[in-house]
Amino acid sequence: MKLKIVQKFKQMPPNERRIYLRELLINNSLYIFLVAAIVLIQCMNPRFLSGPSIINIISLSAANLPIALGIAGAIILTGTDLSAGRIVGLVACVSAALLQMTGYAGKMFPNLQTLPIPVVFLLVIAIGALVGFINGYCTATFHLHPFIVTLSTQLIVYGALLLLLMTGNNNGQSISGLDPSYTNFIKGSVISLGSTPIPNYVWYVLVITAIMWVVWNKTAFGKNMFAIGSNSEAANVSGVNVKRCIILVFVLAGVLYGVTGFIEAARIGSNSASTGLNYELDAIAACVIGGVSFVGGTGKISGVILGVVLLRLIFVGLTFLGIDANMQYIIKGLIILIACAIDMRKYLVRR
Amino acid sequence: MENISANGTKNEGSILLEMRGIVKEFPGVRALDRVSLQVRAGTVHALMGENGAGKSTLMKCLFGIYEKDEGEILLEGQPIVFRNPREALDRGVAMVHQELNQALGRNVMDNIWLGRYPKRLGIFTSEREMEQKTRTVFEDLGLSIDPKRKMSEMPVAERQMAEIAKAVSYDAKIIVLDEPTSSLTEEEVGHLFRIIRTLRARGCGIIYISHKMEEILQISDEITVMRDGAHVATASAAEMSMERIIRLMVGRELSHRFPPKASRPGEVIFETRGISSRFAKVKDVSIKVRRGEIVGLAGLAGAGRSELLENIFGISVRSGGALYLNGKEIRNRSPREAIRNGFAFLTEERRSTGIFGILNITENTTISALRKYLRAGLFLSDRRRAADTDDMVKRLSVKTASKSTQIRTLSGGNQQKVILARWLLTTPDILLLDEPTRGIDVGAKYEIYALMEELAAAGKSILMVSGELPELIGVCHRIYVMSGGEITGEVDAASTTQEQIMTLAAKNV
Amino acid sequence: MKKRILSALLALCLFLPLLTACGGGKGDDVHVFYYTYSDTYISSVRTALDAKLAEAGLTYHDYDGNGNQTTQTEQVRTAITQGARALLVNIVNTGSDDAANEIVGLARDAGIPLIFFNREVSDTVIGSYENCAYVGTRAEEAGLLQGEMIGEYLLEHYAETDRNGDGKISYILFKGEEGNNEAIYRTQYSVEGANELLERANKPALVFYDRANTNGYLVDRNGQWSAAAANEYMTTVLTSYNAAGNNMVELVICNNDSMAEGAISALNSAGFNTGGSSPAIPVFGVDASDAAKSLIRDKKMAGTVQQDAAGMAVALAHLATNAIAEDRGLMDGTEGFTVDESVRKIRIAYGKYLG
Repeated sequence: MKLKIVQKFKQMPPNERRIYLRELLINNSLYIFLVAAIVLIQCMNPRFLSGPSIINIISLSAANLPIALGIAGAIILTGTDLSAGRIVGLVACVSAALLQMTGYAGKMFPNLQTLPIPVVFLLVIAIGALVGFINGYCTATFHLHPFIVTLSTQLIVYGALLLLLMTGNNNGQSISGLDPSYTNFIKGSVISLGSTPIPNYVWYVLVITAIMWVVWNKTAFGKNMFAIGSNSEAANVSGVNVKRCIILVFVLAGVLYGVTGFIEAARIGSNSASTGLNYELDAIAACVIGGVSFVGGTGKISGVILGVVLLRLIFVGLTFLGIDANMQYIIKGLIILIACAIDMRKYLVRR
Repeated sequence: MENISANGTKNEGSILLEMRGIVKEFPGVRALDRVSLQVRAGTVHALMGENGAGKSTLMKCLFGIYEKDEGEILLEGQPIVFRNPREALDRGVAMVHQELNQALGRNVMDNIWLGRYPKRLGIFTSEREMEQKTRTVFEDLGLSIDPKRKMSEMPVAERQMAEIAKAVSYDAKIIVLDEPTSSLTEEEVGHLFRIIRTLRARGCGIIYISHKMEEILQISDEITVMRDGAHVATASAAEMSMERIIRLMVGRELSHRFPPKASRPGEVIFETRGISSRFAKVKDVSIKVRRGEIVGLAGLAGAGRSELLENIFGISVRSGGALYLNGKEIRNRSPREAIRNGFAFLTEERRSTGIFGILNITENTTISALRKYLRAGLFLSDRRRAADTDDMVKRLSVKTASKSTQIRTLSGGNQQKVILARWLLTTPDILLLDEPTRGIDVGAKYEIYALMEELAAAGKSILMVSGELPELIGVCHRIYVMSGGEITGEVDAASTTQEQIMTLAAKNV
Repeated sequence: MKKRILSALLALCLFLPLLTACGGGKGDDVHVFYYTYSDTYISSVRTALDAKLAEAGLTYHDYDGNGNQTTQTEQVRTAITQGARALLVNIVNTGSDDAANEIVGLARDAGIPLIFFNREVSDTVIGSYENCAYVGTRAEEAGLLQGEMIGEYLLEHYAETDRNGDGKISYILFKGEEGNNEAIYRTQYSVEGANELLERANKPALVFYDRANTNGYLVDRNGQWSAAAANEYMTTVLTSYNAAGNNMVELVICNNDSMAEGAISALNSAGFNTGGSSPAIPVFGVDASDAAKSLIRDKKMAGTVQQDAAGMAVALAHLATNAIAEDRGLMDGTEGFTVDESVRKIRIAYGKYLG
C-alpha cells in the first residue's frame, strides 16, 4: 500500500510533487504540530512522557471524552449544544447528593440511606436523557436552531442546579463527602500500569467510546444522523424519520452528558454550581479540532478522540512548562482557528 | 382547448397511474384546474408546459408534498393518497428531482439505501449486503460507479444516474424524471435513454418532464401538454411535432425558435492568448471575440467551458497566458477587476450563484451597480434605483406583480431576465453567459435570444456556453468547440452541423 | 389551533414567574443583590441574611447577578423603580470604582440607602454618598491569617512536612481568579505571612514547587475558584512531583475551600490525605465551608480561614433596619461592631479554623 504511494509519487512531475507534498503537510499539520509539541515539551521536561504522566493525560482525556462524543452528534446535524456543561453540572450534583456517605456532617439529605450505585446511575442518565429529549424535541418539531434551544435549556438546567444546591440542609454549599463505594467505583483502580494505577472510569469511557463507534458506523441510526447532517431534505424524501432521528441524537447526547457528570462528581469530589461550567466549549473545540465540521454530516470518533487528547496535552504540557494560563488561551484559540481553517479547505472548491 | 384523441398510441399497456380532475388552489390562484393524467405500463409519458404551467405542482400533489383540493389518484385501479414521498416510494412511485437531493457527504450506497438500510440483528447495518445489492442494481442498468465513492466527488451526471438507480432499487413501477438531462452531455443522454428504454421494456411507466423538444420526441410514447394549470392536450408522440407542441404550450404560433441574426460583427475586441487554469481543466486556450458578435462555446459536460468563463472572469486562478481587451493586456484577477474592465458573467447555477432569493426585484437588479446610485459618495438614491429597475422590467418584459416582489417567487425565465438586467446596469462590453436559457420555458427563451441579438446589434459582445447545440447554431455567429479543457475547433454557425460539432467535442475524450 | 394553545401555554409559562415575583417583589423593603448564586460562601451569607431580615420583620428580595456587572446594575435600576427602601449590593466588579460609582449614583438620585457587602469598594465610593456603607472583611486579612496558620503549622510540624528532608518546604498555590482583589491578596499574603514566621524562626522561605513558573500560582482559567480546576492541576502536577521522585509537593495553599477539596480529591487518588494514619500533605483553604470543616475533622485537611457568614448577616440586617427606620441614621448603634475610623465600613473578623 505504502509502496504504491511512493511509486505514484515518483511518477509525478516535479511541480505536482511539490503541490502533493505541500497538501500532505497542510492536511496533516495538526498531527505534525502534535508530535512537535510532544517532542519539545519532552525535551524541556523529561518527565512529560513518564508512565504516570501518560496515564494522567489519558485519564483527563477520558473524563472529557463522553461529553465531546455527545456534542459531536449535535454538530454533525449542523447544530450545537450549549446545555452540555450545565447538564454535566446538574447530573454531577444529583449524583453527589444521592451518594453522600451516611453520617457525613454536611449531608444534604441526612436521613437518606446511601443508594445503590446502579440506581443513581440510571437516574442521572435519565435526567440527561430528559434534557436531551427536550433539546431534540424542540429542535426537530419547531425547527428551531439548536443554538437557541440549548441556550434556553442551559439556563433552565442551571436554575434547577441552583435550586438543588439550596435544598435539604445544604444551603448552597458544595456537595462533598461522597460514599467511598462510589468514589472507588469511579476513581479506584483494578488494573495498574507499572506502579501507576489506571482509574476505573478510563475503562468505562473506553467501553462507551466503542459503543459510540458502532452506533455511528454500524447502525441505521448513525447513518441516518450523518445523512441528515449532510442533507436533511434528502433524508426526509428518502423516508428517514428525521424528527425521531434528531431527537435520538440529542437524547443520546444527554445520556453521554449524564455519564460525564456521574464520573465528574466522584473524580472531583466536590460539586458546586460551577461544576461543568464551560465544559461544552471545550467539547465543541475538541470536536472541531478533530474534524467534526460545522458544515454538517462529517466527523469520526477518532477525530473527536484526537481533539480531546490534543486539548488535554496542551493543558498538561503548559502546566509542565510552567507557562501561565494567559498563554493557554492564546494557544488554544490559535489551534482551533488553524484546525478549522485546514478542515474547511476540503470543502472549498479549488478553481 | 384542443382535443386530440389518444387513439393510435403505439403502446396499449394497461393504465398504471391515473390522476383525475386534480384541483389545487393557493390563496388567489388556481394552480391546478381539473388536471387529468394517465400513464400506461411500459410507456414514457412526457409532461410538457412552460414554467408555471403546473407540472411540478401536479407532481407534488402526486407525492403528497401538497394536499390536493379535489380529484383522485388511482394506482393500478386502486385509489390512493400518499401523505409523503416515502409512502409513494413504498408503493413503487419514485421521483428523480431536477435539483438532486442527495447527502453529498456520504457515499453512493449510503445514499441509495438511505431510510431502509439492510440490517443484521435488527440494529446493525450490513455494509456487505448494501454493497452487493448496489452492484446488482448498477449492473442491471449498465452503470459502472463505485458504490463506495463519495457523492461530492462525483460529476453531476453520475450522481443523476445514482439517483435513477435508487428509484429502480425501490422496484418502482412509476418513475418521474424531472429535467433529467439538464446537466448531461449528449453521450450521457444516450446512456440515460438506454436505461429508460430498459425500464420501459420491463413495464414501468415513466413520467418525463423536460423542456428539450428533440429529446421528448425521441424518447416519449405519449405527450401531455399543460398550460396555466390546465390540461391542454394528450397525444401519442408520433402525432406530435415540435411546432405543434410549442403552439400548444404557449397558446400561440411561434414562427421561429430563434430571432433572425441581424447584427454584423466588427473588429476583434477581446482575445485570450494561451490561458490555462491552475486547478481547473483549462489548457492553453486562445480565442477571439469581435465587437457585436455572439460567440458560442460547445462541448460535452466537463469539457471546461464554464471553467473557461470563470477563468476569464477572474474566479479561478490563471497559471499562464494573457487576456487582451482592445489590444491592451488586462489581468482580471478577481471578479471586481473583471467588472471594472467591462465584463459581466451570468452564472450557470441560477439559484445558488445568481439570485438573492429573499430580496426583491429592485435589490436584485441594482446590486452590482450600487456605486452608480451613490449620493455624496455615501447614501443610495432609492428613487434612481427604482427608476432604473422600472426601465429594466419594462425593457426585458419581466413578468412580476411589482418590483418589490421577492425574486424567488418568479419563474425561472423571469429570474434570468432580472439577472441579465443586473448585468446590463453595469454597462458591460463583454457578456459571458453560462447556459442562459437552462430550465427556462420556450417563450422566455425566445425573449432572451432576442435580447442577446439586440445587445449584439448595439455593439456588445457575447461569449455563451450552452449544452443545446440547436441553440448555439441558432443564436451564435461563430462557435468554438472545447474538449478536455482545450479548444478543438472553431466553426461558422451558418455552415456547421451538429455532427461536425459533436465530432470535435469528442476529440479529447 | 394546536399552535395557538401552545403559544398561550408558552406565554403563561413566561408570565407565571413574573406573577409570583410581583406578588413578593413590589412591596419589598430590602433588595439584596448577590454577585452570583454559584459561590458557596455567598450562599451561606444569603441563607443567614434571609433569616435575619425576616427576624427583623423586613420583607426582602434576592437577586442573582450571575457574575455579570451589567446584569446587576440593571437589577438595581429595576429595584429602584419598584420602590426599594434599602439596597444591599454584593458588587460584581471590584477591579475599579466605576461600577460602584454608577450604583451609588442611582441610589443617591433615588434617595435610597445603599450598603455594599462582601466584595470591597473603595473609601472614596463610600464617602461620596452619606447614606452609603460597607460591610465586609479586610481583603488582606484572610491571606494574612492563612499565612499565619501555615507558618504556625510548619513550625510545629517542620520535619514531617519536609518529606524529602532538603530543609525547604515546596508548596503549590491555587488561585481562584485573575484580576480579583480577594484572590490577589490571598495569594500574596498567605505566602508572605507564612514566610514571615519562618524567617523569625530562622527557617528558609517557602519554595514554589516548579521553578519554571514565575507567577508562583496556578489559576482557575474560568475564574470560578472551582474544585475541578484545582483537581486537574493537582493530578497533573502529581505525575511528576511525587513521593517516588523524592520531589513531592509538601504544602498546598488554596484561595478557597472548594479548590482545597479538589486538591484533596487528587491527593486521595495518589494515596495521600485519605484520613486516619495515611500520609498527609497539609492543605489550607479559606471560607470554612461545611465540607472543609468535615475534612479538617477527618484530618484530611490542615486548616481554613473562617468567614463569618452569620456575623456578616447580623451587621447587614442591623444596617438595613437602620436604613428603613425613618428616625435612625444609617450607622446608629454600630458601636458593637468593628468600624473603620474614617469611613463607614464595618469589618467582620476572620477566624482561624483548625477543627
